[in-house]
Amino acid sequence: MEKQIVLNTFLKETGGHIAAQLEACTRCGMCAEACHFYQATGNPEFSPVWKIELLKRAYEQRFTLAGKIRLAVGLAKPISEEEISHFSKIVYEACTMCNKCSMVCPMGIQLGPLIHEVRQGLSNAGVVPAELLAAVNQQVEEGSPLGVTDAVYKSRLEWVADEWEVALPQDVKGADTLVVFSSIELMKFPENIAAIAKILHAAGEKWTLSSQAREVVNFGFYEGNPERTIMFLKRIFDGAGDLGVRKIVVTECGHAYDALRWTSYNLMAVPQGIEITHIVGLVGDYVRTGRITLKKGAHNDGRITFHDACKIQRRGGHIKEPREILNVLAPDSFAEMSPSREQAICCGGGGGVIAIKDADSNRYAAFELKVDQLRRVGAKTVVMSCSNCRLQFTDCVQHFNLDIKVAGLCQMVADALEK
Amino acid sequence: MFWTDILAFARGPFFRVALWVFVGGMAYRLVRIIFLGWPADKVPRRGSKLWGALKSFLKGILVWPFIPWVKNTFNCNPVVYLAGGLFHLGLFVILILGTAHMLVWKSLLGFGWKTLPFPIVDWMAAITIAAIVILFINRLIHPVLKLISGPGEWLNLLFVFLPMVSGYVMAHHLWFRYEVIFSIHMIAVNILMIWIPFSRISHFMFYFFSKAIHGADFGKRAVEP
Ligand code: HEM
Ligand code: SF4
Ligand code: SF4
Repeated sequence: MEKQIVLNTFLKETGGHIAAQLEACTRCGMCAEACHFYQATGNPEFSPVWKIELLKRAYEQRFTLAGKIRLAVGLAKPISEEEISHFSKIVYEACTMCNKCSMVCPMGIQLGPLIHEVRQGLSNAGVVPAELLAAVNQQVEEGSPLGVTDAVYKSRLEWVADEWEVALPQDVKGADTLVVFSSIELMKFPENIAAIAKILHAAGEKWTLSSQAREVVNFGFYEGNPERTIMFLKRIFDGAGDLGVRKIVVTECGHAYDALRWTSYNLMAVPQGIEITHIVGLVGDYVRTGRITLKKGAHNDGRITFHDACKIQRRGGHIKEPREILNVLAPDSFAEMSPSREQAICCGGGGGVIAIKDADSNRYAAFELKVDQLRRVGAKTVVMSCSNCRLQFTDCVQHFNLDIKVAGLCQMVADALEK
Repeated sequence: MFWTDILAFARGPFFRVALWVFVGGMAYRLVRIIFLGWPADKVPRRGSKLWGALKSFLKGILVWPFIPWVKNTFNCNPVVYLAGGLFHLGLFVILILGTAHMLVWKSLLGFGWKTLPFPIVDWMAAITIAAIVILFINRLIHPVLKLISGPGEWLNLLFVFLPMVSGYVMAHHLWFRYEVIFSIHMIAVNILMIWIPFSRISHFMFYFFSKAIHGADFGKRAVEP
């Protein structure tokens, strides 16, 4: 039963775009070493190419002549119900969809997006890790996977406004820019909200929050479920539409940015004339155009490095902005990890992995690669532009007992604003 | 006269059939992929898709056959990097710049070109054969490759190995009478040509799709592919 749903999803989704990439794979195995989960554990089932095995087999056995013949004579293995639950653990618990693998694949196969297709099949059949599904359902019902109901949202914002003495304009019709925070920021890094508000005020931005579009995180996208992805995206677009804004700013959440900026247009009707950008892109523009000025060398606390978030840097393109900012804030103490920028190693907590308890051992193992990178660069502080990465870093710094400060880029910028 | 007949068959009708299976099979796969449907990408871009695709091809070709420049790729995959690269380099040099093969191209296309001296091509062939053996051993022992290899992958290696070895033996006049080894070489080549459209060796065609997709996907985000 589940098998049939998975197969049907794959068959429906497989157009030339996916098929051409599945056909191109030479089974060379080079992608394995690109994946932090494989590198950290040596488990061959964590190689990217194996994570698309179901999709590949469905395609071969249903679409290609050679595959049909092989299936008929017993040379190919049909997909079984057991395999579906088996692969569910692999694609949800050992993949952050960081797409580093696509850079190493000599054929340039977009493995991350293909693994997303596998998740889509599994999610349609309901074969999703229970904790992830619970978070998705909580977002359907309460509007947030972290239990931020309307009441919590309101009181939390009031508290932030009070505590840091910032204005948080809400539901302002006719504002230019709608800013949508993630509940991770709201609940775990509230200082980030204050920081972003300060920056926007300093830049003279006409911005607003929305009580309707109040959650940027999209757990439907982690799950790979198109209906729920669209449901959560629609809440944001509806909120933006009601307020008549021209720009939506995604704050420090990577997966949300991927969903909103790079995926929504191909999934649903997106309102015309609204630009979608990431807060790092916006702040980068402010600094470039002089809308805000930062104290040179404001950071003087030893070696500092930047962690590239897969969905904001490699998949979002905001690679230069953080460097430009850090070269102002820490001209002498900023150093790159190796590899960095688009080739950076993922933190291991994205793609919903951090929400799944059973994935903890994978997550910690993958972070050891990061520990090694941090050690080699001698970092005292590591700064990033994604709160999901930051959650992973904060947790792992504790887990591994590291003497490293984990910081958010917007907070550093806010602290360095010239009055 | 037995082997002369076999040679005539392998170079004549069998070769032509194999060539048609190859050309027809690849054309079929190309057309099928194109007609599977390509939904338009409606995402507004930050950078150029075309430029991204171009860079993606250049990065794959300029340094070492088809393997992209990404930090640690070589350190992490030295065997596939070197043996796989040498295998393809050798394959293309022999097929295009070997005198005997150029003459085949000339008979098919109607024009020829300058070729490399025999000793160079000969060394390339030896290296290519060694590379295939190394790729085979690597596939036998590497845990990921073991997991992802099916019968098709083993046959790929066998079917590229046979024409290479028979060609090498023929060029050195070893062990066999000329008609015998030439027949074996031609039969092996024909089998390879028939096999390609049914196997993953057809990657040489899909490479152009997937690399372009990769480059465009990175290009539109203004990221180095
Ligand atoms: C545009 C042309 C081609 C490109 C870009 C290309 C690229 C690649 C790459 C990247 C690999 C995997 C890594 C490696 O083992 O080197 C590979 C493997 C392979 N290629 Fe090609 N190739 C091309 C043409 C060909 C042709 C014409 C043949 C044979 C007639 C061929 C035969 C093979 C075989 C047999 C393998 C598998 C090696 C193994 O099993 O380990 N390739 N190719
Ligand atoms: S997308 Fe990232 S986590 Fe997933 S298989 Fe590729 S490298 Fe591994
Ligand atoms: S690196 Fe690319 S071609 Fe090689 S096995 Fe992985 S997906 Fe296939």
